[in-house]
Amino acid sequence: MKNNLDQEQRISLAHRVALISGIFCGVVALLLILNFWHMKQHEPLESKTIEVLVERLSSEPGNEELKEEIRSFDLLARKAYFTSRWQVKTGTWLLLFGGIVMAASLKVYTDLRARIEAPEKVTEELLRARANSQYWLMVAGGLILGFSLVAGYLSNDYLKEYQAMGVVEETEQPQDGIEVIKVFPAQESADTLGSDSAIEQEGASGAEAIEGAGDETETATQPVAVQTTSRFNRDDFKTNQATFRGYMGQGVSYHKNIPEKWNGSTGENIKWKVAFSKPGYNTPVIWDDKLFISGGDAASRVVACYNRNNGQLLWEKEVTGIPGSPAAMPRVTDDTGLAAPTMAVDGNRVYAIFATGDVVAFDLQGNKIWGRNLGVPNNHYGHSSSLQVWENKLVVQYDTNTRGRMLALNTANGETLWDVERPVHISWASPALIEVNGKIQVITTADPYVSGHDLETGAEIWKVEAMMGEVGPSVAYEDGLVYATNEYARLVAVEPKPGAEFTWEDDEYLSEAASPVAYNGLLYLATSYGVLVCYDALTGEKQWEKEYNEGFYSSPMIADGKLYIIDLDGVTHIIKADRSGTVVADPELGEGGFALPVFADGVIYLRGMEHLYCVGE
Amino acid sequence: MLKKIPNLALILILFALLTGSFLQAQQRFPKPEFDTGYVQPDPTTPEPRAMALEYFDVLVLLAVLSLASWLAVKKRSRRGLLWLSVFSLIYFGFYRDGCICSIGAIQNVALSIFDPGYAISITALLFFILPLLFALFFGRTFCAAACPLGAIQDLVVINPVSIPSWIRKTLGFIPVIYLALSVLFAATGSDFIICRYDPFVGIFRMDGPFLMIFLGITFLLLGMFYARPYCRVFCPYGVLLSWMSKFSKWHLSITPSECIKCKLCKDSCPFDAIEVPVEQAYRTPEVSRKNLKRFILYIGLIPVLILLGGWIGSKSHIFLSRVHPDVYLAELMISQPELKEDEENLDIQAFLESGDTFEQLVDQAAVIREKFRKGSLVMGGFIGLALGITLMNQVVFRRREDYEPHKGDCFSCGRCMDYCPIDSQKSKGESQKLNVESLKLKVENQKSVKSKG
Repeated sequence: MKNNLDQEQRISLAHRVALISGIFCGVVALLLILNFWHMKQHEPLESKTIEVLVERLSSEPGNEELKEEIRSFDLLARKAYFTSRWQVKTGTWLLLFGGIVMAASLKVYTDLRARIEAPEKVTEELLRARANSQYWLMVAGGLILGFSLVAGYLSNDYLKEYQAMGVVEETEQPQDGIEVIKVFPAQESADTLGSDSAIEQEGASGAEAIEGAGDETETATQPVAVQTTSRFNRDDFKTNQATFRGYMGQGVSYHKNIPEKWNGSTGENIKWKVAFSKPGYNTPVIWDDKLFISGGDAASRVVACYNRNNGQLLWEKEVTGIPGSPAAMPRVTDDTGLAAPTMAVDGNRVYAIFATGDVVAFDLQGNKIWGRNLGVPNNHYGHSSSLQVWENKLVVQYDTNTRGRMLALNTANGETLWDVERPVHISWASPALIEVNGKIQVITTADPYVSGHDLETGAEIWKVEAMMGEVGPSVAYEDGLVYATNEYARLVAVEPKPGAEFTWEDDEYLSEAASPVAYNGLLYLATSYGVLVCYDALTGEKQWEKEYNEGFYSSPMIADGKLYIIDLDGVTHIIKADRSGTVVADPELGEGGFALPVFADGVIYLRGMEHLYCVGE
Repeated sequence: MLKKIPNLALILILFALLTGSFLQAQQRFPKPEFDTGYVQPDPTTPEPRAMALEYFDVLVLLAVLSLASWLAVKKRSRRGLLWLSVFSLIYFGFYRDGCICSIGAIQNVALSIFDPGYAISITALLFFILPLLFALFFGRTFCAAACPLGAIQDLVVINPVSIPSWIRKTLGFIPVIYLALSVLFAATGSDFIICRYDPFVGIFRMDGPFLMIFLGITFLLLGMFYARPYCRVFCPYGVLLSWMSKFSKWHLSITPSECIKCKLCKDSCPFDAIEVPVEQAYRTPEVSRKNLKRFILYIGLIPVLILLGGWIGSKSHIFLSRVHPDVYLAELMISQPELKEDEENLDIQAFLESGDTFEQLVDQAAVIREKFRKGSLVMGGFIGLALGITLMNQVVFRRREDYEPHKGDCFSCGRCMDYCPIDSQKSKGESQKLNVESLKLKVENQKSVKSKG
């Protein structure tokens, strides 16, 4: 009886100790939580007072009184912080002590009550239990192996892909690495050209005349003297689509009598088509009777010249021998490639830039005039900003992951005329030119600035923070307003002057790759998900929108009062460039389209995935 | 309701510990943002533990293992084992901050085997080998009294429940996978995941990341009802100990004499590690024939599982290799090159400032991935083999007349000895020749007392 009583007493004692220690721990825990809450409310690490004072200090670095004030606040904050730390630490130790006492008393309590460690009785029939074990082991094993297999197949081997693509370099620009070719006498040119005759012959025979190939053939191997003098006439740039998006890069053609019907598959209204030797996403440029395109793969990069009247390949030149050009190709994505930028031609020379950073100039007869490497661009898709040319300046927008940059090269010899660093992130947009108060500005868009630069010096004239993300579309311009857009950013209209603010902005439809175009008071924009939309250029009021099955990477062009835009499926949508948005026609190319239409009187040149087409009625 | 108060209080205290520890792990106060003229001292590498003290740790371990084996096998003292485990918890856990530990030493050994540039310390090697050696002769006495992780869980066993054997067997396969992964990651120099995800080291150190503390508290809470959850469901070292222990010659026995089949030991074991006598019904020719067929099937299945596991393992090497920081970083910079501009991405910024070229990083990552390809193949094969053997064991019915501890699963904690009525008779100095009938009567009385309690 006495023993039983002792047992009861011990149980009661253990129970009380456990209870008291539990309450003790609860109180300490509550205090700790209160302390935690208090610290969260008045976080000394983020004292607003100190923040404001430190900000003031940056404008008054010599203010000793201010420093002293900051120090005292800092000291106070530190005291508060470390006191709190002490409280937390002490509290934790108290909790630990309470916990040990409680665990021990609980242990005694449960031992004395003889209920400890008595598992629930589970009566299992052994054979069934074993069978269940086998079943579930197999299920679990199968799930693990299956999961691993699926995860294995779903895992993308980036390393392998990367190594298969080649080598990425982040070389700096060799400042003096310009290879300038001497002006050859006619005979030397003939010798030089002779070495490329194989390519030319092969290319020429590859041209497939569809209809009425003209008699104007140019003997590719005929020796031609290198042009030494430069000419510039802005009207020539209106009659020749000489740069990306035509005259000044604004997306408007001045040609009339443009075809509206064709079919690349059946050959309807196709004057000729040729297959080109190297892939490239650039748009052809033309000058007089010559049409130029570039292409490139890991093996070589080429510039090709065709007779635009009959599709005959006049010459095709490999871009080689450029100092600083990388031996291995930079890694580029398939949808950008090595020859995405559109070339520029000024009647004297044709200029090309590649994802290797090589810039090269040929005369119109195919003689290389100069070549230089700007440093392999640190660009994860591949360089795609097209060239712009005006007077003696070849403008290169060269915003990379390393830095924002723009250069003007002397068209005659490739020397740097100016080279400005820009406070922007990488971009894929191309420079456009506008004329303000008789001066030409280069307009660029990148994250975060849309900016205007003096063409003569490269100096920034104005900028406005408007963009974000990976900027692909170039700007549009008309009647004193610049229009810029990018996916995940916005569409803005802004006056090209210092301190400019948005005239209007919108974010309903944003373009990923296609550049907007402004014409006759209307702004047109195409999205990568297949919406073509028209706004009032002055107010931003939407006039109409059309949705197509395929998206647009190609930009809209205006010609003969109509808007032409090619979707990714190769269908050209022709719409009246007015507020009615009347559909004119939707002719098909028969292969995917990405390049812009190139206009000349009575004809359009279209570059598909595999062929170059000349369309004419 | 009143009876539940202690349990509720225990949960509360553990929650409070969690909160307190979390608060401990807050960010340190930053340096002032203006020039104070104060020169930051160069950081110094903390002094490693003196070699003599490291050897002392080994001696302590050796002593604890010896004492635990003696207490389990010879002395048969549950109380002794309990107090020894408390000592180990204090010494190896709180005093030595849970490091060095035999469980983590697996990784040191694996790395030293596969990386010629890594020299394992003699201490780590001995911490790895000694418990295995003792397990080979005396069973898992390391788990009983020398492992701080086991000890802290053992102390919170309050009301353990028994779970069906198919769940135990299925969960019991997790440590095999964990072992395989930890060896793979250690051998490739990727990570010491056993240490990274050690749930109790944060408690031992009274500090640690939130996740670590949270895991520790969770395991302790769970351990109140499912005894030693980490040991039974995760511990990779337990796999090795289990293999060794199966061959142990002098393993702890439940009863020192004749088993009276009172089942008290089975009820006492919170780990379901007592094997029941195999009745004759399971050994009939019909059952034996069926089991034999299945046994042969599993024998034939083992090579298939090895090959399948190896093949799937090699297919898994791409995502497994991403545990390695170099592979992860290289792939991150390839797949998201724009992150190079992200100044808040410290990994990338640290790499960019290191002066190494990206090509070097990619090449290094490719070498590591190749190691993973081979390692994953072996790992998959090992998992397939383990699965096959586990399945095979399910159709083997060994002759067993008495209640016996499962040599692989038994932690040698001694609870069953403590509960064995025969053992208690011996300790009271009664005659070796026990009267079985009278004992059975005592057992019934003991059970009725328990049921009243």
